[in-house]
Formats: sequence, C-alpha cells, structure tokens
Amino acid sequence: MGLADTSHGEGGIAGHLQYWTLKIDESNPFMQIHLDTMLVSIVVAAGLFIFALWLKCRLVEGAPSGAQNFMESVVGFIDTTVKDNFPVHNPLIAPLAFTVFVFIALINTIDILPAFLLGNIAHLFGVEHFRPVPTNDLNLPAAMAVSVFILVLYYEFKLKPAHFLKELVMEPFTSLVPVYLRPFVMPINLILKLVEEVAKPLSLSFRLFGNMFAGEVIFLLIAFLLLGGGAIGMAAGFFVGVAWTIFHLFIGILQAFIFMILTVVYLSIAHQPVEH
Amino acid sequence: MSLDLTFIGQIVVFLTLVFLMRKYLYGPMAELMEARSNKIAEGLAAADAGKEAFANAQAEIAEQLAEARTKAVEIIAAAEKRAAELSEESVARARNEAEGIIDSAREEVHAELNRARQTLRSEVAGIAMMAAESVVEAELDASRHSALIEGIVSKGFGNA
Repeated sequence: MGLADTSHGEGGIAGHLQYWTLKIDESNPFMQIHLDTMLVSIVVAAGLFIFALWLKCRLVEGAPSGAQNFMESVVGFIDTTVKDNFPVHNPLIAPLAFTVFVFIALINTIDILPAFLLGNIAHLFGVEHFRPVPTNDLNLPAAMAVSVFILVLYYEFKLKPAHFLKELVMEPFTSLVPVYLRPFVMPINLILKLVEEVAKPLSLSFRLFGNMFAGEVIFLLIAFLLLGGGAIGMAAGFFVGVAWTIFHLFIGILQAFIFMILTVVYLSIAHQPVEH
Repeated sequence: MSLDLTFIGQIVVFLTLVFLMRKYLYGPMAELMEARSNKIAEGLAAADAGKEAFANAQAEIAEQLAEARTKAVEIIAAAEKRAAELSEESVARARNEAEGIIDSAREEVHAELNRARQTLRSEVAGIAMMAAESVVEAELDASRHSALIEGIVSKGFGNA
C-alpha cells in the first residue's frame, strides 16, 4: 500500500481523526460544518433515494426476486418489530424505523473499506482531512437521536399531555412523602425526570458514535501495524484486519438494529395508553 | 467531537430521508406486501370455501345415492309384489277359464248323451216294433209277448 507515507507523518492516529471542516466563524466553535460528514451522508441518502426510485419502477405484485425480495424481507422484519411493540397503529413509525436502520447500516458499512482509501482519494482532490464514516461524527448520531427524541416528546404531549406533565413533577417521590412535603420534592422529581428523559437521546447517540469511533480507531491501529511492522507485522495486520472487518461489519449492523429498536421502543412508550 | 452546524444539517438530511423513504420505498413496498398478503388470504379463503363446497357436494351426492338406492329397492319390491299378484291373478283366471271349459264340456257331453239316449230310445222302439212285427207275424199272443216287449224296451233303456 503506497499510502503509508502520507498516513504516518502527521501525529499518528489523531491526525486521521480530523474532519474536513468549513469554518464559518472562527471564534464560535458551533459555526463550522463538517463537509466530509455532510458529503458522505448526502451521497448515501441520495443513493438510497435513487435505489428507491429504481426499485419502485420494478416492483412486481407476484413472487418477488432479487432486490425486491431482499428489501421486502427488510421491510417485513421492521414491520413485524414495529407491530410487536406498538399498541396502536401509527403510519410514520415503521418508515422512520426503516430509514434509521437502513441509513445507519449503510453508513456503518462504509467503515469496512480500507482505512485510508477514501481519505487518500480525497487527498487527490486537495482535501487535507477526510473522515469517511459519518457515524463516527457525533453530529449524525446526535441529529438522529434528537430527531427521535423530539418526536417522542411530540407524541407524549399530543397523546397524553396531562399525564406527561404530571409524571414530570409527581414521579417518583411524591407518593412516598406526606402531603405537606410534596411541593418540596416536586423540583427534585422534575430534575430526576429531566435527567431520565435527556439520557435517552444521549445514550442513543453516544452508543452508536462510541462503537463506530472505537471501531475506526482500531482500524487505524491495525493499519499502522500493517504498514509499519515489517513482514510479520504486515501478515499479522492483514489477518487481524480481515477479522476485525468482519466483526466490525457485524457491529455496524448490530448498532443500526439497536438504534432502530430503541427508536421504536421510545416511541412506543410515548404511545402507551395511560393506566389508571 | 463537539456539535456544530453539521448537527443541523444532519437533522435536515435525516428528516428528508425519512420523508423520501416513506413516500418512495417503504410506502409502496408495504402497500404491495399488504395487497399480496390480502390476495393470498383471499385465495386461501376461496380454496377453503371450494373445499367445503366440494365436501358438501360429496355429502349431497352420497345422500342422493342412498335415497336413490332405497327408492330402487322399493320399486323392485313393488314390482316383484305386482308380478306375484299378476301371476296369481293369471293363474286364478286360467283356473276359472279351465273350470268353465270343463263345465261347458261336461254340459255338452251331458246334452250329447241325452241326445244319444233319445235317438237310441227311438231306434230301440223301432227295433222293438220290428221285432214285435216279426214275432206277431209268427205268433201273436199279446199276453205272452207283451212281457217280452217290455223286457226288451226296458233292457234298451236299463242303463239310462
């Protein structure tokens, strides 16, 4: 691999964990955009959309085959998952879960490409840093988790507003203290409940981000072993690399599944009817 | 590793993708699969209905067959009874006819016998007269021969 020379120099692994960034306001760290994350995610989304249009024209009502067969098994699997978890029918949930699963699984799969391949292709176009896998960028998992969280809040308020507000201030301590102490425990309840609610998107996004980030770091370590360890290092690096690629592919799909199933579960909790 | 504008951009990308997937991939496929499973369910229901109709038809056939068999047995029994009656009737009629024939034959024989007897009587009388004449010619003794004539005549009719 002739790419080793560019990879080794600039600060080892940390050098490879820089984003291709467009800074809009130097003084404000929020006012910047990761072009690599945006580019790859838009390319994947566009690819998915083109695939959807292509498949839509070829859908047959009879016995499916090929791509339609595969997608039908994915759709059927997600449909079953959603139906098993949901007490009521909501036409938005299944497509949402489907998008979450397919989008994350596809993006995670990019990670099995050779570690420096996309980065070095980007170098050819004069881009200094390029992170090929958008799920390694906290922005994408956080964006999805927050979108899901906002949806959860929306349904909580829409379907059972009184119950949700009551839960915010009355759980878990109110019933355990005398009546005159209740106003004093309400703020504590509120704080605990807020922590509980905020933990949902946080855990959702950090789980995916952490898994994929760690996976990439290990890929980079293996790549350094492969490129810098002589003949034995190369042989060892190759086999370890192949093994980790297979394992990481599994992790990627597993993380997509976990993100999807948690999305469904959080939304189904919001849809649960109030028990009296 | 901090959040920045990419976060906003990713929310837009994600929500757009959800919308597009719902409209162009998940929606059509779910609809198609639903339509297909409905069709399969309809087909299975139709197959079940057909099977049931077949079973009903078979049961009906068996019932009708049994009914027909019973009726046939009845008809055969009636026919046999009628045949027996007819044969008895004809035997009785034949017997009556035979008896009639025998009776008329007997009457005829009787009449014939009477006629013959009559003829014989007149012939015997003639013969007696002739015999008498010949006797008279020889010797006419009424007292002696009347007994003889009487004897001849009664001998001629003795068996009548």
